[in-house]
Amino acid sequence: MARLELENLTKHYGGQATVRGVTLDIPDGEFLVLLGPSGCGKTTTLRMIAGFIEPSGGSVRLGGQDITHRPPWRRNTGMVFQSYALFPHMTVAQNVAFGLEMRKIGRAEREARALEALRMVRLDGLADRLPRQMSGGQQQRVALARALAIRPDVLLLDEPLSNLDAKLREEVRIEIRQLQQQLGLTAIMVTHDQEEALTVADRLVVMAEGEIRQIGSQQDLYERPADRFVAGFVGRSTVITGQVREPGLFESAGGLRLRCQGATAPGAASLVLRPEAIHLDPPPDEHNRLEGEVTFASYLGPVLELHLRLSAEDRITVHLPNRGGAGLIRAGDRVSIGWPQDTGIVFAGTA
Amino acid sequence: MTRAARKAGAAGLIAPATLVVALGLLLPLGLLFRYSLNRFVPGEFMVDALTVENYIRFFTDPFYTTVLWRTVRIAAIVTVICLVMGFPLAYVLARTQSRFKNLLLMAVVLPLFVGNAVRAAGWMVAFGSRGVLNASLMGLGVISTPIDIMFTETAVIIGITAVNLPFMVLSLQSVIEGIDRSVEEAAFNLGAPPRLMLWRVLLPLAMPGVLAGGILTFILGMNAYATPVLIGGPRFQTMGPLVYGQFIEQNNWPFGATVAFVLMAATLVLTSLSNILVHRRLHR
Repeated sequence: MARLELENLTKHYGGQATVRGVTLDIPDGEFLVLLGPSGCGKTTTLRMIAGFIEPSGGSVRLGGQDITHRPPWRRNTGMVFQSYALFPHMTVAQNVAFGLEMRKIGRAEREARALEALRMVRLDGLADRLPRQMSGGQQQRVALARALAIRPDVLLLDEPLSNLDAKLREEVRIEIRQLQQQLGLTAIMVTHDQEEALTVADRLVVMAEGEIRQIGSQQDLYERPADRFVAGFVGRSTVITGQVREPGLFESAGGLRLRCQGATAPGAASLVLRPEAIHLDPPPDEHNRLEGEVTFASYLGPVLELHLRLSAEDRITVHLPNRGGAGLIRAGDRVSIGWPQDTGIVFAGTA
Repeated sequence: MTRAARKAGAAGLIAPATLVVALGLLLPLGLLFRYSLNRFVPGEFMVDALTVENYIRFFTDPFYTTVLWRTVRIAAIVTVICLVMGFPLAYVLARTQSRFKNLLLMAVVLPLFVGNAVRAAGWMVAFGSRGVLNASLMGLGVISTPIDIMFTETAVIIGITAVNLPFMVLSLQSVIEGIDRSVEEAAFNLGAPPRLMLWRVLLPLAMPGVLAGGILTFILGMNAYATPVLIGGPRFQTMGPLVYGQFIEQNNWPFGATVAFVLMAATLVLTSLSNILVHRRLHR
């Protein structure tokens, strides 16, 4: 277990930069998640930490040592792959013991440690199976045990859950998080699934186009997104485009005049609203009170999702908590909604 | 369609191939085996008999056992060379992301576009004692007497290797392509340097390709004809030319059939043996 520092890490392919100047300091024992759409450079960053990709610039320091140009087999990182990457010709026990064998650890200790790692993922009963005789979830837990058995300085998880079905995904991600906390491991996970990211992370990094857009806690990203991209990528949101007319007043493309905060400079801007921040039948003194026609209503269980048309140009998505006995609102109904001025976030610019 | 009709349809589809194999291979083979038990009487061509004296003659005459041993040795050496040279090439072809990949594969197969005999004839021109290479070297004063390249066992091995290499490369390439790249990365990540990754992960997983390529190369090596005749020269004997000689030049059909059967049996036994050995090593 160790502290991991990335400094100005960069990767060019041909003249194209896939990772540009990523700087991160990950303290010992932290679970950091790299979140972003495909092609944002998150996997390339992880692979540079593992040593599979040679950086074009910058450095990787693990436990105070510069490992930027060290080959992967001389870095003590434990990687879990999206495709599990178990050795199909070896049993589960041999798979888990492989890293220990490479470290020239004696047979007795090797077997004991492999079994201990398998016990951590509750698969010690299946040590003699071959990978192909196991389910996807079991295979991924073997892969996790194999990475943990070498007692890595940092655990690297490359979309480890994306090949599993939804229910298993939830189970395994909780298991990963609990083991990481129990063992006090430094861990980095790459994912494009925000729910997964929010569940396991101590801290999150949102990446886009090879750059870090924001680093912060779940709450930071959701409530105080640094830009429109982060606002749109983390959580559901409605983006209303328009103009800031004067400090505190936003006018939408469809002519709605809305009270907001943090909008000081007049000019083109967009207003981002979380669907659950909007409520039905607002009190008379609410900052923003609007009427709209329901164009689409769906019952999602815990919430009801409504799509409203507020004007010829403006649409909004609203999530209402399901308090039972609902289902009264249907497409075609007119409803009144509202939100306080401090719930929306205004970003300058049109893009 | 009823089940019976479907079955009849399937039978109809495999019948042509079965017939070709039966008529084109098994029938002549049966006849050949029968001939090998006949007696050869000079002047009388072939006399009906049921005797193993041809087989006894083959295995008691050191000339023939030497030819058999030489053939096996050459085929084995060629197979090992093809494996050692072919594996890296096959690996690169399997893993390359280049958009010229298909072109590269074509380049590997390209030598097969030229017939064995044509290629061997070309080498005679190039490497003969008065060939292009020797003439240039002597003309430049590098050597005073021509180097003997032609008509040696080494030359034959090089010749057969050149013909067989594409078969090995293609067999390996298709199997390596099916091995998940991340398995190799997992081995590196767990601390295996490239040498150990190759030995413990890549090679065992590529074993079906090694086996297929090895068997193909070995069989082709055992049965080589044009290359040993043209590059090995008239006095260089391997099993293939020996069979031809007995049938066409000596008109000794019974003994020719015997040599052919020994060649086939030796090839079959050795390939099955290596197959069993490899499987045993894999499933320890």
